[in-house]
Amino acid sequence: MTDYILIQALNGLVIGIIYAVIAAGLTVIFSILRIVNFAHGEVYMMGGYFAYFAISLLGIPPMAGVVFAMAASFALSVLIERTLLTPLYSPTTERKGDYGILVTFGISIFLRNIALIVFGPYPLRPPSFLTGALILGPLIMTWDRVFDAGAAIAMLVFLLWFMHRTAWGEALNAVSQSRESAAIVGINDQLFYMLAFGLGGALAGGAGALVGPIYSLSPSMGLIPDTQAFAIVILGGMGSVMGSILAGLMIGVSESMFVALFPDPSRSLTYAQAFSLLVLMVVLLVRPTGFFGRIHTALD
Amino acid sequence: MADDSKPAASILPSAGLGRRSVLAAGGAAAALPLIGNRARAAGEPIVLGWVGPLSPPGGYAEGTNMRYAAEIALEEINAQGGILGRPVQIVFADTRGMPAEGRTAAERLVQQNKVAAVFGEFHSPVALAEMEVFHKYGTPFMACDVWSDQITAKGYPEVFRNAPAVSLIDVTIGQWIAAAGFKNVAIIAEKNDVGLSARTLVQQELAKAGIKFDAVDADPNLTDFTAQILRFKSNATPYDFFLAIYAEAGAYPMIHQAHDLGFAPTATCGAYLSGGEAVDPTFWENVGDAGTFLVTENVGLPKSAWNDKTKAFVASYKAKHNNADPSGAVMESYDGAWLLFDAIGTAGNTESKAIIEALEKTQYVGARGQYSFSTSHEPAWHYHQFLDAPLTILQYAEAKQSQANAPIVWPKEYATVPYVYKKPGT
Repeated sequence: MTDYILIQALNGLVIGIIYAVIAAGLTVIFSILRIVNFAHGEVYMMGGYFAYFAISLLGIPPMAGVVFAMAASFALSVLIERTLLTPLYSPTTERKGDYGILVTFGISIFLRNIALIVFGPYPLRPPSFLTGALILGPLIMTWDRVFDAGAAIAMLVFLLWFMHRTAWGEALNAVSQSRESAAIVGINDQLFYMLAFGLGGALAGGAGALVGPIYSLSPSMGLIPDTQAFAIVILGGMGSVMGSILAGLMIGVSESMFVALFPDPSRSLTYAQAFSLLVLMVVLLVRPTGFFGRIHTALD
Repeated sequence: MADDSKPAASILPSAGLGRRSVLAAGGAAAALPLIGNRARAAGEPIVLGWVGPLSPPGGYAEGTNMRYAAEIALEEINAQGGILGRPVQIVFADTRGMPAEGRTAAERLVQQNKVAAVFGEFHSPVALAEMEVFHKYGTPFMACDVWSDQITAKGYPEVFRNAPAVSLIDVTIGQWIAAAGFKNVAIIAEKNDVGLSARTLVQQELAKAGIKFDAVDADPNLTDFTAQILRFKSNATPYDFFLAIYAEAGAYPMIHQAHDLGFAPTATCGAYLSGGEAVDPTFWENVGDAGTFLVTENVGLPKSAWNDKTKAFVASYKAKHNNADPSGAVMESYDGAWLLFDAIGTAGNTESKAIIEALEKTQYVGARGQYSFSTSHEPAWHYHQFLDAPLTILQYAEAKQSQANAPIVWPKEYATVPYVYKKPGT
């Protein structure tokens, strides 16, 4: 039984780390631009395809494909931000939150349909990062998942280092706290909006590239992770990267353990996602701002 | 809907231009000045509707393949001169796999596009929503790759089905599992109308044969089944068979996750994927070695029973679509179009009642064999059902094997190998 619980917990941790990468990207965007990015799941999807085509057309190794996907997703996100989101920063734009929701929702539909036309409707599976499985006694985990977990941890460590140990990260934090104050001390807020949207997109695209070999790619693959990421961002506290990481891990492990231990096995898989939302509701009853949310953080 | 009731100047191109039809055409020509609008309509195309998922969240990959098949049928009929001397058009409506969108699409096809009849669809819940519209307006509907018993059990005179129903498919699957000698079965079923009724029917067959089973229902959008497969794997009484009844994007990850975790298909546990994904052209790219020894059903004719139309269609489809083998669902869409072309030709007009009557009497031979539709209501799902719909169970013997060349293990009359099931490693 102990082995079984350990295996399930490890499985949940791997899924949770992937969730955390997607949610951390969403959080970076929210905390700086103050918009809920409904196109985040589609950037995740595009990242998967960028990696797939980089590997199959350019012949680059799968691991380098992840880096390529992050760079391409960064560029795609910057393009979206520069062309469609700049009205958010204009003092003449009213109801910026509504504008952000409508525009990103439109982008999500556009990207999903573009993917359908350009990449085709058929599921595609990129080659494995590492073939075979790690077998340690009763523990079996494919090397793809082990690699995914390691790469996702590396992405999160880099993000935390960037946000807390670099001048650019400090500037992002300043813009997230007060755009006006940041501008007064000479921070070009437009540059950092672009950087934040690009960084969030790169994380989503990197996650999409990582899951390709285990879930396959399809134009609709962003729908569920998007929903999960929103729940995680709220659970972790709107605007808190560390909160998103912890909440992602918590949701991943709780879903896995629910499937593993729910007394009625015929319903465990069906109710797993509902269970994660139940966790969210319970936490919000006790802590309405989530784990690390700032009370003042809200949509403009 | 009815837009024309003129006599059959010609029916199908295969029908000869006999004395009677020449006279009828002459009579119609003589009547031209008298009938005004009716005469101008003679050159207008006959419009048919096609419904199915062409974009997310529905099964848009197979929906797209089904559309390709309908386009081939359309090219063929127009190259042969159309129907009743008129060209044919097909209006393709994307339902996105959503019942509400299916209903809207059905309304639009009938009210705006004035279609004479409709065919297609890939999702039973969507077909059930669309049927209500077609029933309201009396528009004939040929349901193609939708398996829910309810579709024909409702007893709507407008609704026909050229695909097998779950009562045909899943009873056969249950019987095959019993014949293969499995004793303890783990089932994951898609949580929707088709998945749940399929699971229930298989369970009934397993119970009859005294086979133990445990069933789990799963949301159609899931892609990660690792936790559940690990739970199956740790069961106190090891399972010797894994049955996945799943037609959505999660089917491929489920199969390779089961394989990667050493659950199935292995020497101790067989695996079956029901729902059509295992005969799609992208199956091998997505599952790799996990597909070897996997068992699945095919709702197309087995290669040994292919007729000239099957061979011609397969050749045409492969030539147009990257040499991909058409699945049974694709052939259903192709035959669905031709059944309607044939029925309109036989009816001699596009009146709904005449088309329905022609479909009830049809003996049309298509790419999936000779069609006839039951008019019995006992049991209810038999009504307007193609009861002889082809169904075979195949088991891949090697990686990247074409479904047309995979050994057929069931039913016995179509089997191409002496065994019912081949264990991996034997």
